[in-house]
Amino acid sequence: MGLHISNAPFIYNKDTTRSLMLDVILALLPTTLAGIFFFGLGALLHVLVGTASAMLAEYAYQKLTHKPVRIRDCSAALTGMLLALNMPVSAPLWVTLIGSAVAIVLVKELFGGIGDNFMNPALTARAILMASWPVAMTAYTQPVFSLGLQADAVSSATVLHGLSATPLQMFLGFIPGTIGEVSKAAILIGFLYLLLKGVITWHIPVIYVGSYALLALALGNNVLNGVLSGGMLFGAVFMATDYVTNPMTRRGQVIFAVGCGVFTCLIRNFSSYPEGVTFAILLMNIATPLIDKYVKGARVYGKGKK
Amino acid sequence: MRGGVHPLDGARGGKTSTSSSPIRPYVAKSVQIPMCQAIGAPSVPIVQAGDQVKLGQKIGEAAGFMSLPAHASVSGRVVSVEQRMLMLGNPILTVTIENDGRDDWAELTPLGKDVESVNAASIIPAIKEAGICGMGGATFPTHVKLTIPEGKSCDSIIVNGAECETHVTADHRLMLEEPARIVNGLRLAMKALGVKYGIIGIEDNKKDAIETMKAAIAGIEGLHVMPLYTKYPQGGERQLIHAVTGYEVPVHGLPIDIGVVVLNVGTAAAIADAVLLGKPLIERVTTVTGCVKEPANLRLRIGTSASEAVEACGGYKEEPYTLLMGGAMTGICMPDDKPPIGKGTNCLLALTEAESKTPAEQPCIRCGRCVDVCPAGLKPFLLKHFCDKGDLAGAQANDVTECIVCGCCSYICPARLALTASFKNTKDAIARQARRAK
Repeated sequence: MGLHISNAPFIYNKDTTRSLMLDVILALLPTTLAGIFFFGLGALLHVLVGTASAMLAEYAYQKLTHKPVRIRDCSAALTGMLLALNMPVSAPLWVTLIGSAVAIVLVKELFGGIGDNFMNPALTARAILMASWPVAMTAYTQPVFSLGLQADAVSSATVLHGLSATPLQMFLGFIPGTIGEVSKAAILIGFLYLLLKGVITWHIPVIYVGSYALLALALGNNVLNGVLSGGMLFGAVFMATDYVTNPMTRRGQVIFAVGCGVFTCLIRNFSSYPEGVTFAILLMNIATPLIDKYVKGARVYGKGKK
Repeated sequence: MRGGVHPLDGARGGKTSTSSSPIRPYVAKSVQIPMCQAIGAPSVPIVQAGDQVKLGQKIGEAAGFMSLPAHASVSGRVVSVEQRMLMLGNPILTVTIENDGRDDWAELTPLGKDVESVNAASIIPAIKEAGICGMGGATFPTHVKLTIPEGKSCDSIIVNGAECETHVTADHRLMLEEPARIVNGLRLAMKALGVKYGIIGIEDNKKDAIETMKAAIAGIEGLHVMPLYTKYPQGGERQLIHAVTGYEVPVHGLPIDIGVVVLNVGTAAAIADAVLLGKPLIERVTTVTGCVKEPANLRLRIGTSASEAVEACGGYKEEPYTLLMGGAMTGICMPDDKPPIGKGTNCLLALTEAESKTPAEQPCIRCGRCVDVCPAGLKPFLLKHFCDKGDLAGAQANDVTECIVCGCCSYICPARLALTASFKNTKDAIARQARRAK
């Protein structure tokens, strides 16, 4: 009888890296569909190009460097999708393509691949694109509702630039912005899905938005506009919750989320950028190793307390 | 309890196939009785090949305080006394007895007919003489546990009926079918220590057992049944103490440091038999389940080979890939199905390849779930770095010695990292290092 010897446990929770990534991709579908609804099939093209080029970049890099190919874990696909949803629909497709490749190769693989990147790949790539092609990256288009491939709508200022819109318009997504960020309703559906599936907990998104709201209130900003327009909800739900780049302990995550909220508010108020989500989250990504080092986790059983 | 997981929750912990199967006695044709049946010094055999022994006759003397005597679990002829490789590790001196089928008991000397008539001072020696150790799996000698060190005191005894491990229903069935033995054992242990409170902790997925035990303690002063929220690893001694009392056992300490002693339900029942019937520990209830034809709870003689136990359940349904002593979270792999059932074997679990093949490790994605589920409050993801490098000092500085090897971190890890295994190996290495340093 050929029995096999290994170590306990012999059963596992059903969630794997791949299933978690697929869950987030599923959670992004409502906001992707909303993007297509508001900006036309051009939005879909961005998502397809972003996802495909990220997977291709990862495959090529891992083949060339003789590493195990891990595109099956779907994390590259997710990164590409996140980046594409962070693009304005009017940006050229090649910018998305370059962004995806940069996210995967420069930000993720060069630092050791999945789990070892210290900044969110999609967000970092977005920051790089914003610095490289600022005009294309901030040409937010008004929603068009034409199913044409070419977004022919005019560029417009965003609400954060001073455009006015009703809260309902902002909530549903009838405002200019990037493909994935405009419809808060769609983002919340994705958030709910992630919560129900246990992929993320409420802590980071809620504390992020909450701490932003408090500080914005204190500074006399229009809190409702601040939360419902721009990329805050998208960032709070899909970017700040990236496992790899936020702290491991609950306490650390709270600090991380408060930091995101505070920096978003400070950047929006005191810098030349109207939007602060990208840099706020990236700053806290960089602070994460420090937080993990100094914030103690749960007390070890039997230590301290009687 | 902190942390924890709900393994096989959809399948009710894999327990449904045996939870309603009544305990069925099975008498082995022959038994192999290792002289090393519990933590501590091995016993010294006092029989030779060819000797005729009676059921319950002492065949090995205890070698000191931290040691137990061994008893014949069948009557018949001693076939051999030899070193044998049983589980993985070192060969163990083992007495093999062929059953003559007569179950001819040795002379038994009960201490009294009921709890009231027993002399308190004679209980603990009787427990040692009966060879009783922790039957939940740890096999720590019970008389040592019940010997309270100078300067310490015990104010309550907790009986562990949590049975949080997957697939196992042996304790569940014992509580349902023989509650009086458990209650008597608890009362005897309380009497021996002069303790006022006895608490039976049972997870609330065993409602029927909670009701049965409540009925069994009705009217007895000082006894309580405490239903517990079902969560693995609540049956861990330290976790159970926290769940029941709200107190934690201090690091490097023992339950007695906070005035508590924990006994498994099977151990309690064995105490009752030893004191009130004079019977040594020669049999136990073991759940035989997994890919066997008729999963069941068997009352097996200590020393019954796993293959014979599986035969008693109709044989394997399909070729097993792994055969475990214990459940799927903490079970130990058997090299083949020849090793005997020990005093701590609560379960034999045969798993198919699909059920038990070790998944490939992938990179950590820092999801933090291992931190959330660790009942010891450790940071498994961080510890693994030290353990993989063989950095024992670093691992110790991050409290690897407080790991209870429950398996929760490995269970929950989406990257399927073998966290628990690496902590176990590191803990073993630290223990070896400490022994060498002595």
